[in-house]
Amino acid sequence: MADNQTPKQSGASGANTGWAAVGYLISGIAVWGFVGWLIDRWLGSDGIVTGIGCVLGAAGGIYLVVKKLGA
Amino acid sequence: MSGQVLAEVPFPPSVNDIYPPALFGGAEWLTKFSLFLWLAAAIVIVFFLVAYRNPKVVPTKGQWLAESLYGFVREGVAKDVIGHEGLRFAPYLASLFIFILVGNVFSIVPFIQVSPMAHIAFPLMLALCTYGLYLYQGFKKHGFVGYLKHATVLPAPWFMQPLLLPIEALQAFILQPLTLALRLFANMFAGHMLLLVFTLGGFALLNAESFFLKPISLVSWAMTIMLTFFELLIAALQAYVFTLLTANYLAGTLAEEH
Repeated sequence: MADNQTPKQSGASGANTGWAAVGYLISGIAVWGFVGWLIDRWLGSDGIVTGIGCVLGAAGGIYLVVKKLGA
Repeated sequence: MSGQVLAEVPFPPSVNDIYPPALFGGAEWLTKFSLFLWLAAAIVIVFFLVAYRNPKVVPTKGQWLAESLYGFVREGVAKDVIGHEGLRFAPYLASLFIFILVGNVFSIVPFIQVSPMAHIAFPLMLALCTYGLYLYQGFKKHGFVGYLKHATVLPAPWFMQPLLLPIEALQAFILQPLTLALRLFANMFAGHMLLLVFTLGGFALLNAESFFLKPISLVSWAMTIMLTFFELLIAALQAYVFTLLTANYLAGTLAEEH
């Protein structure tokens, strides 16, 4: 991002960071939950893959938050 | 119980109130919203033409206002968020900010009292402009494949990439523009509904059968007045947030490799 040139963090851009963090978490769960749900339909299993997908997605989302927004 | 009240308005208000009928029968697209949108555009254009028609070294009031509005976006948003390269986007960002601001303030102007931005079509169109702009800038700077890589690939171990790529792609190409539009729309729509509920609620209470409920309508109208001031704050804040996020996305697009 652009924070290598300006050290300031005003309130509004702090809000943006917050939105981005929430966005990563939700989109992580949404993407991999959806993939899991598709696999579920394909295999005819009972939602177990959806669960695994959601957990994986949440992990990916948290990883992204730490990587892109942390420190 | 409720139904028709004193002011002959239905209570509670519904989502259908945001889809008004055409103004003059014939043209279906000519509604309150398109009229106010033109009005907002006209106000912005005329104001800036008049303010800069005869610029002076010691500015007049109008020129001072125009200059400080533009200066605020140029220095506070374009330069601060994007950096020196951002100055060429200052005109776009400033028009975006001032147009949305005027549109939003319409939500508390008497007799207008609804912002065009409370209709999803208009924020969506503005967000599409921003989306097109930052995609174009990205493709121009990094090349087609280069930009796709720039937007989605992170410095992470290879085994994490398959997990992260879809998330990043969804975030960068779908959620960013969508939430940009939805945030502005939802804020203005909710503000409009809130004012409507408390105003009409006052009438509903005044019309209530119980005598003790009638004075409470005053509380409801007092809330309307308070919320009107609150709405002014939201109007300015949302115009600023939309501009700031646009600048933020542009900055992300124009950034060198991570």
